[in-house]
Parts: sequence; structure tokens; C-alpha cells
Amino acid sequence: MTALHPPASALASGRALGPIDGMTALDSHQIVDLFRVIARRLAEARAELGALDGAIGDADHGNSMADGFAAVVRASAEAATRGSDVGDLFVVAGRSFLNAVGATTGPLYASALLRAGQRFAGQKTLAIADLPDLLAAFAAGISDRGKARPGDKTMMDVWGPAARAAEQPGPPRDRMARALRAAEDGRDATRTMVASVGRAARLGERSLGHVDPGAASAVIVIAALQEGLAHHLAQDRP
Amino acid sequence: MAPRQPHKTADADTLTPMPLRYGDDPLLWAAWLYYEEGLTQSDIAEKMGLSRASVNAYLADARTRGIVNIEIAPEKFRALSIAQALRDHFNLQDCLIIPTEGDERPLIARLGAAGAQVLRRFVKSGDTLAVTWGRTVLALAEALDHPGLQDVRVVQATGGTTAKIPWTPEACASRLADALKARSIPISAPAIVTSAEMRAMLMQEPVLAEQLAILAEADRIVMGISSLRPESTIHSSGFLDGGVQHAHYQDAVGSIVGRFIGARGEPVIGPMQERTIGIELEALRRIPQRIAVAGGVDKVPAILAALRGGYVNVLVTDVVTGRGILTAEGYRDTPRRSPPADPAPLTARSHVKKLINAPQDAVDEALRGALLAHEDLIAALPDSPRAIRALDGPRPGKVGLVIGGGAGHEPGFWGYVGRGLADAAAVGNLFASPPPGPILAATQAVQGGAGVLYIYGNFSGDVMNFDMAAEIANAEGIPVRSVVTTDDIASSPIESRAARRGVAGNVFIFKIAGAAADRMMPLEACEAVVRRANARTYTMGLALEPGSLLETRRPSFDLGPHDMELGVGVHGEPGVVRQKLASADESADLLLDRILTEMAPQEGDRVAVLVNSLGSTPAMELYIILRRVRQRLKARGIIVHKSLVGPYYTSLDMAGVSLSLLHLDAELATLLDAPCRSAALTLP
Repeated sequence: MTALHPPASALASGRALGPIDGMTALDSHQIVDLFRVIARRLAEARAELGALDGAIGDADHGNSMADGFAAVVRASAEAATRGSDVGDLFVVAGRSFLNAVGATTGPLYASALLRAGQRFAGQKTLAIADLPDLLAAFAAGISDRGKARPGDKTMMDVWGPAARAAEQPGPPRDRMARALRAAEDGRDATRTMVASVGRAARLGERSLGHVDPGAASAVIVIAALQEGLAHHLAQDRP
Repeated sequence: MAPRQPHKTADADTLTPMPLRYGDDPLLWAAWLYYEEGLTQSDIAEKMGLSRASVNAYLADARTRGIVNIEIAPEKFRALSIAQALRDHFNLQDCLIIPTEGDERPLIARLGAAGAQVLRRFVKSGDTLAVTWGRTVLALAEALDHPGLQDVRVVQATGGTTAKIPWTPEACASRLADALKARSIPISAPAIVTSAEMRAMLMQEPVLAEQLAILAEADRIVMGISSLRPESTIHSSGFLDGGVQHAHYQDAVGSIVGRFIGARGEPVIGPMQERTIGIELEALRRIPQRIAVAGGVDKVPAILAALRGGYVNVLVTDVVTGRGILTAEGYRDTPRRSPPADPAPLTARSHVKKLINAPQDAVDEALRGALLAHEDLIAALPDSPRAIRALDGPRPGKVGLVIGGGAGHEPGFWGYVGRGLADAAAVGNLFASPPPGPILAATQAVQGGAGVLYIYGNFSGDVMNFDMAAEIANAEGIPVRSVVTTDDIASSPIESRAARRGVAGNVFIFKIAGAAADRMMPLEACEAVVRRANARTYTMGLALEPGSLLETRRPSFDLGPHDMELGVGVHGEPGVVRQKLASADESADLLLDRILTEMAPQEGDRVAVLVNSLGSTPAMELYIILRRVRQRLKARGIIVHKSLVGPYYTSLDMAGVSLSLLHLDAELATLLDAPCRSAALTLP
């Protein structure tokens, strides 16, 4: 089962880093550390997400997300050890997520990770300055696969605003902070929405007042990204 | 009424002795005189020889002691309590809530009538009244007739549009002015102009400047609130300039006075801001009375945003929308006063016992057990343990039939793998679609050169994963067709049948498909007959107790001791509507009536019936239901060709039943009767 790891900042700081790109770019191992933070936060939220989902769905969401990112950590750690570049790492991560869980989240997060794999194909490192592109790739992958529109009460009501907030110019730290704020607002806004796609759609107006579990887990992912990058983001200003 | 005797002093002689029937309870007598005989409190005081204050205290006491219960019709009560809560929560001047379901008039017409009533109450001679546009605003203007006032001016809140809609700003303003016999002040410019420069130039025109100055003097405004959902009329209004919305207004949830606001009511500024002629949001907030008339659950985010932004201080909406706004704000319905002490409910099921080992191992352990129990029928693929293949069945030239879905529906799906049924099943985690991997492995294992047919219930996860597997299989040269089943009539109205879930009716659909493939029908023909079977299968379920999940061992939703949930699916999720617990016959009728209404069978038609346990409802109860269903079908002159009773398609330990009817035709009857052999269904 999922091994729990210390936060990525601790792990990452213990690793030998190149003198130049250490603070401004992530190598494959550091991206695996990022996945570890996400997996850990999702594992902690397993029950909470399940309960959210139980109100309007079938309560499997916490498990799907936690199991999915646990599989991502296992597969990507192995791939990083083999020397995979950043693009391949995301592709491996996407496939492993999909095969681990299926469900609804499987294809959606697999598409997100595969899209990131395309965006960073052939790259040895992921520049901190390109983080907004990572969010944009996630949002685009999820949107293309799930076809949800804004206001449908899905994870897109978090990923869309977060990606747009990250696109606004500024230092990476500010952009990530804005993205997280937009993500939280988007999550809270799903409370006011009537689900129109997915399983909760069958509940119609009874879904009002409930936070969408996919939106809640998306916020956890984005918050974990920010947490895992805190060490790097702290360096982004002279 | 008792004759009044105002000057008589109460003394022992004139007092009416308390009639015997009240025993010696003066409260009861006082209450009777007041509520039943309609006496005034003074009359009662005289009759009983008490002070009026004492009578008043008696009557209050009678209410608290439950001698008198004041019943307000529940629908009206709900409307009142929601209106009160909205007023308090958003600090409104006033709030009117109308029933969502009413007479035969559409909601918009009834909202308009309610808005007209509110406006009649507030509008005064000498007022300057601003008005926006929209269907509800026009309905209000049409419902209003209030000619007695003087010197009222009605002014458009925005410029006009040339959109081909009846509810343009111009139409709304002039109709409202007519109804009030008021002077109508237009805004002689388009609401949206081509550029900021054009707007600046226009605003300097004396005519327009004068009109805008009048708008700035408005005492009240009547406005609609628009959602930005695809079905909203804003898209045909001229206020959204083509594709502009997508680029800049994605963070907007609604529109008022032609401006856009985000979820917290903050203005969303885009390129149209400087091209819009009309009142601005800041100026709107300065109008002393701001009456919004809007309803419909799709508008909840928009109305909530308008309330949060303080753009509204009088709200007219309907019960469902009002409650939606409140629940979105975290408000819960509170019981009215303290309800009479209910007999304590039986011990609530808060922890459910289960015979499992580690929860995360349950799916695989159960599957391994099933494979051992039925080792003469099924086996897992060596490299894909969640892909289950029939030992007898798949063969060259035959269409391969692959079914699947989440675990938790046992004996679904491996129970329907075998000769004359499915060739393989892919099993996911608990209530979660399998990933494309095992679906693809199953596809490769059972294809016999004639293509493969996928059949699964309509859930977004299953659709995505099966589609991904189909894409890969097609790319590998295996033709794949998919039929997504939609038999659950409770899950969506008939107009959107394609959005319905696929549930226990799958048993019939798998059977028809298996027989068609077993007869070596080609892929297209198999697909066609399965689609027809799906279109003619109708299912509806009800739950008495929620199921409980493996990890939490807690019920997956709350269901009161006297309630049942109608329209439940097969994943432990809540159903469509909750109602008072009914008897077996009443429950069977509830399900059957809905099914027959849609099926509309003729006398002499044949059906197959499945009475399915959702998990923990015992056979005894299922047979009681079947008995009633058969009785009703006989009375209708419908012939029951086959009856299945048992746990065919479950939802873990949910208590409840689903009823499925397959409306047979000659070919479907033949296919249904064909022999088959599997763990859950064997026909000779």
C-alpha cells in the first residue's frame, strides 16, 4: 500500500542540485517528489472526499484519487530512476493513473498528465517559470476528455479558473498563489451549482449546497503542487 | 357571534358557567371560544369572568401546550420561512417567495405576476423607475395594471438591442410605462456599441446625456438576473457580443443590467465594459430600492452572486430557487418550532458489520471466490486478473460480447459471463469503472474475427474508459461497437432518455445480446437488436436503507426511519425523491405505474419482469412485490412471458428493490428464451 513520505521540500533539499537550475527548474526526481506530496495529501483526504462524494455520488472519489496518485508515484519513481525525461515522466504517470483506477477520474487525470507529457516532451527539466503551462496542460487535458463546461459543477470549475489565474503575468510564486485562490473560489462556487454532467447530474437540484468532490480534490492537487514547490518558489525573487 | 354586552360588569350572576364538555380546563374553553366560535378576547374575558390579559395569556398557553396547533399549509409555510431566511441572511428590505409548482402558468409568468404585486406595493407618484430587460421583466410588465399614480417616469436602465426577442429593453420599458400610465424615457443608443470611442462620443450627445441623467435619478429599479448557462436567453439578447464571452467572461456567473459579475458579486471587467451604455454596477448600488425578479435552479449562482454583491435589496423568486440559494450558503431547513416528541427512532445504523478482511482487498478476494465457485464457467485472463472470460462461448466467427462496470453489483458482471451470454467482463474497483486495460485485454481474448460488442450502463466513467479501450481496439483492427444502456427511467425525464443510467435492466439486455451473438448474428445485427432491447427496457428502484461502504462501514446517505428513497441507482447514491415509507403493494404500484406510463403497452402485449434485490432485501419481500406486479399486469391484460426474482444486480448491502420490465416483441422473446449457462442465469 501507499507508503507515506515526508513533504517534498524536505526530500528535495536533501538531493544534490545543479548550481544553476537547482532553484529555477525541476528534474525528473524532483517532479516525482511533487507527485509524492500530492499523493500524500490525497491519502489524508481519502475519507473526507469519500464523504463529499457520498452526498451526491457513490463515495468512490477519495479512493480513486488517492490510489491513482499512489500509482503515479510508484511508476514515475521507477521511470525517473531509469532516466526518463520530464515529458516521458508525465506520460508514464498518466498511464499508471489510468490503469490503477479507471473510474471517472482515471481518464480525466490521465488526459491531464498525458497533455503535460506532450507539452514538456523531450525536456530534461521543468522550468519553474513554466509552471503555469503545467496547470494549463492539466486543464486542457481534463476539459477535452470530460467535455464539461464552466458551471457544470465538476472539477473543471476549479481547473479552468486556476489555469487562467496562473496565466496572468507575474513571478511564479504570485501566479501559483493566485491559482490556488482561484481554485478555492471555484470549489466553493460549485456549492451554488446544479450538477449537469456525471453521476451527480441525476440528483438535479438536490445537488445544490454540496461541494463537488472532483472540485475539492482538484484544490488539494493544486495546493499540494504549491506546497511541494514552496522551496523553489521562495527563491523566485532576488 | 355572541351578542356583545359591553357595559355589563362581570359578576357571578352574569358569568357563563364552564360547559361540562371542557372538563375543568379553562384553557381549552378559552381556546374553543376564540378559535372555533370566533369570539374576541374581550368577549371571552366577559364570559369567563377574567381580564383580557388573562385570556390573552390563556390563548398563548394553549398554543405552547399543544391544545391549539396553528397549521399553515406546508407549501406556504416553506415559502414564508425561506423568504424570512433570505431577508435575514442578505439584509433585504423585503422578499417574496412563490411556489415553484403552481397553476398551469409557466414559472416566468407567475414570477412576473408576483413581481407586479411587489411593484404595486412600492411604486409611488413622482417616482423615477428604472427597468432592465428579459423574459421575467416583460412578464412583470404584462401582469401589471396600476394606472392611479401621477408623475411617474419609467426609464430604460440600458441602451437598446436589435435582437429578435420580444423582451428587449425598449419593449420592457414601454410596456411598464403603459401599465403605470407613466412617462417612458428611452435610452436612445444601443446597449452595446462598437468601441469605447463611440460610447464616449455618444454620451456627449445632449439627448442621451439627458436620458442618462434621468436614469441617475432613479428611486427604484426592476431587474432580471441572467445566468450565463448555455440555455440562458442572454445568448440571444445582443448583450453578449458573439464569442467575446469565452475570452473574458469565463469567471462570470451572471449578468445584471448588462454587466457581468463573478461568484462573490465582484464586477467581471472585460472588453465590453467600455462599450456598454447603461447604468454601471456602482451606480446601481446607489439606487435606494433594487427589485430583482428571477427564478429557476440554473440561476442560483447568478442570483446568489447578485445578492452577495449587494445589487439587490428586494427579491422575488420561487421556493426551489430560494432554497437553492440558501443551501448554497450553508443554510439548513430547521424544523418548525419544537416538533412533538417523536418516539425515539430505532437505533440508527451508524456502523454496519461486514464480513470482510481489509476493505481494499474485498473486491479482489470476492472475485477470486467467485472464480473458484464457478470454475467450470469462468476464468480470469492470466495477465489481467480483472478481465473474466467464459470458458465456453467465444469462438471464431462469433461476435465477442464484452460487458463490465464497477464491483459491488455482484453477481454483476461475472455472473453474466458464459455460453449464450457475455464472453467476457471487465471489473473495476468498487462502483468505479474498470480502466481501459482489462477491457482491452477482454476484447483481445474473446474476439473471433467478427468484431466485438461492448454493453455497459451509462455512467460517465464507464463511457470514457470503454471508449478509450474501443479506440485502441479499433486501431488494432478489431471492430468494436458499443451499446450504452439507459433503462433507469427515474434518472432523467423521457425527453433526455440518452442521459439515463443503465441499471438492473442490463440483465435482460445482456441476455438478448448473448443470444444474438450465440446465433452467430453479425455485429451490426447484434448491435441493432441490443439497441432495441435497451429502448424497450424500463427500470425503476426504491431504497429502504442506504448501502454502506467497505471503508467507512457507514451508510452512504441518511434516510429517516419513516422514509424511503425513490429512483435510486445501483451505487448507493441517493435517489431522485424521498417520500414516506409505503407498503409492498403501494411500492410496487409506484414503480409499475411509472414504468407502464412510459411503456404504454397494448392489451395482449408480452413482457419479461425482473424483481431485483438491491442487496439486503430478502427473497420473501421480492416475491410479495412480484405477486402485486403480476396481479396488476394481469388486470391490464399484459402477458408475462418470464419472471426473474432475486439479487441479480445489487448495490452492496442497500435494502430495496428495483423493478425492470422488458417490452417484448417476437424476436426479443425468442432471444430471451434461448438457452444460456452462467453463474447467475441459466436457461435450458
